[in-house]
Amino acid sequence: MVIIMDKNDTLDAKGLMCPMPIVKLAKKMKDLKVGEVLELIADDVGSKEDVPAWCNRTGNQLVGQKEEGGAFYFYIKKVQ
Amino acid sequence: MAETKKFAMVVSEGSFDKAMMAMMMGNTAASMGIETHIYFTFFGLNLLKKGAKPKLPGMLRFFTGTMVKKMKGIGMEGYQEQLEMAKELGVKIYACSSSMEMMGIKKEDLIDGITVLGAAAFLNMATESDMQLFIG
Repeated sequence: MVIIMDKNDTLDAKGLMCPMPIVKLAKKMKDLKVGEVLELIADDVGSKEDVPAWCNRTGNQLVGQKEEGGAFYFYIKKVQ
Repeated sequence: MAETKKFAMVVSEGSFDKAMMAMMMGNTAASMGIETHIYFTFFGLNLLKKGAKPKLPGMLRFFTGTMVKKMKGIGMEGYQEQLEMAKELGVKIYACSSSMEMMGIKKEDLIDGITVLGAAAFLNMATESDMQLFIG
């Protein structure tokens, strides 16, 4: 996946287990404006599948993803 | 944006594990933009009592504290916090009217912001849902 590193805000969900990263992500996205990108950092292995599923369901766009130092980084663009 | 989906869940047990499962599923669904409805019936109804502190079932109940601590250690909130979160996320919570009668529970014994329903009303809602789960 192409990595897009431009971000407007970061949510550090390291140390949190399912479902907390998703619950916090949903809350945080409400604060963003359409078109802005949130960087989400999580280390719950489940988030690797959960975050794309969340984006798919809510219609937000996963514009980048990487794995670094045992953590997963997601770049999510607010679509609506 | 995918169309809005509807999720109906029944909780018929009041033990800690069932309570947490219901809250985690419900809160995740609500966070995904899924319209979530949870119906508490039979022993599940105890979970809606003000200040409810569910315990693990049977002899395992003595280990509830250990489990709560373990969950806190991995960033998981307790039952009451999750219930509060559910309300914040707009999860619709229902209490089964005949269970209330059977167990001698009054509306004022239960937390605020819930609706008392009969089985037919809930089932009607469930038939219009895209997904139904039973936790018991």
